Amino acid sequence: MTKDAILVKNLKKHFKGHLSIGRIEALKGVNLEVKEGGIYGFIGPNGAGKTTTLKIITGLIFPDEGEVQIFGKPHTDYIIRKDIGFLPESPYFYDYLTGEELVKFFGSLFGIQKKELNERTKYLLDLVGLKGKEKIPLRKYSKGMLQRVGLAQALINDAKLLILDEPMSGLDPIGRREIRDLILKLKEEGKTIFFSSHILADAEMICDEVAIIVKGKIVQKGRLEELLAKDVQFYDISFKGIETPPELKDKVVVAFEGYSMIRLKDEDEVDKALATLINKGGKIMSLMPHKTSLEEIFLSSIEEKKNE
Amino acid sequence: MSRFKLSCMQVIAIAKNTYKEAIRSKIFYVLMAFAIAMLGFAVILSFLTIGSQKRVILDLGLAGISFFSVMTSIFVGIGLIYLEIEKKTIYNVLSKPLPRASFIVGRYFGLMAVLGINLIAMLIILSIALLFFKGFTPMIFYAGLFIYLELAVITAIAIFFSSIASPVLSAICTLAFYLIGHTSSTFPEMLVPLLHNDIQKKIALFFFHILPDLSILNVSNLITYNIPIAPGFTIRGIIYAVLFSTLLIFAGCLFFKKRDLV
Repeated sequence: MTKDAILVKNLKKHFKGHLSIGRIEALKGVNLEVKEGGIYGFIGPNGAGKTTTLKIITGLIFPDEGEVQIFGKPHTDYIIRKDIGFLPESPYFYDYLTGEELVKFFGSLFGIQKKELNERTKYLLDLVGLKGKEKIPLRKYSKGMLQRVGLAQALINDAKLLILDEPMSGLDPIGRREIRDLILKLKEEGKTIFFSSHILADAEMICDEVAIIVKGKIVQKGRLEELLAKDVQFYDISFKGIETPPELKDKVVVAFEGYSMIRLKDEDEVDKALATLINKGGKIMSLMPHKTSLEEIFLSSIEEKKNE
Repeated sequence: MSRFKLSCMQVIAIAKNTYKEAIRSKIFYVLMAFAIAMLGFAVILSFLTIGSQKRVILDLGLAGISFFSVMTSIFVGIGLIYLEIEKKTIYNVLSKPLPRASFIVGRYFGLMAVLGINLIAMLIILSIALLFFKGFTPMIFYAGLFIYLELAVITAIAIFFSSIASPVLSAICTLAFYLIGHTSSTFPEMLVPLLHNDIQKKIALFFFHILPDLSILNVSNLITYNIPIAPGFTIRGIIYAVLFSTLLIFAGCLFFKKRDLV
């Protein structure tokens, strides 16, 4: 059975308002189960509670209520963070250090010995595309370069679990693709990746599971294909070789040079239509379910929450 | 690797980084330049005095070194914890397998290393000036030790406040402690007799006991005027500075341990 890399139970957190007036409920009972060995996307609009959740998991802030376990152990023991590689949102680093010095500094906090640290630093800076820029002070780095050096330091301890807060933020499309590929490569190496994002297209492309958080509450979670499959909007069947049967005439979307395409609402209709077409000697060219995109699920979740 | 060994490695790493941060910051060089200018001023002023040229250089030199070292300690120390939170650089550090206490202790040792090197450099410059005027005494390094002990206490105060308050408030509180520390020894003899009731007297004595007494660590006058130093003075000063600094750092760690880093 797959273990939970992260288990979050009923996490609640509030912050005081400006000048300590008022109370902001940042998390209202968040529950998450991140299985080992997959890519888990934690998505939500700005201010939904993503970063607060990540900060609690990494021990930067303390919950009012609830429990967090990392690989079955309570997250309150700092030593458990040996198994975690963390990239904070818009990483802020010591700008008086060079890229190489920064990665080595973070490596030394894990107790990595000098020889291994030198080799790993070089390897990781190459991996994230900073070869030749390792001796430049961070104050001269662009936002994208800072994001890359941030990823390098998150990988320095070869952690089993990577927690990445908005890893694609600040990157151009090529950079985003490179980071996506890197995340997929890390998954192949058996690592668990838990990342927050508001870039839904990226999440949809690489995630095995997602959770959508809105106003401090998880509103949807599960395996991505299941979430998307729940909401198949319609099916398109294209065929050739026969005229469209009369009972399917009102379903035709396109008919052109012997090819036809019909659009059906549910699986029963699809079964019947396929049987009819095959019986009449038609050749099925394709069957395409049109699923709801993650963006549509995300927006409808926000809309539902607004109406509550 | 044991937790203790890992913690020691982490403290060294944080201290090294603090050292790099200080020596790469402008404020360090500005204060260092002021200190050297002060030593130059001491030499110029000594030409205007009759007969006590060496004593003026020694007196002003040690006072200048002490003052600018304390200023460096306060103005770098007050930002050591707070600015890490303000600039969010702390998120990445404390998300590593690092006890928060190791972070504070590492920052403290890092700044103490910078202050130590700074102090040695200034003492060497002062020694050269005194050698030139044939007034060198190895006792200036003894005075240096006591300046360093005072810096240990002041830095601990600055770091303590930096872990709980903003830099401005920390600077005000640390400066207040520094000034009170140089006058608190007069509380029992000068302040208490002026008070009228027992409660006021007890409060004054209570503060006398809990506030730092930096006069214990002041030997500059003894050296300048060649006053003999009592036996046990050095040990008492070292024990006082180490205990006071340890208690303050420990208190800072306790406050910082449960602090939300938002």
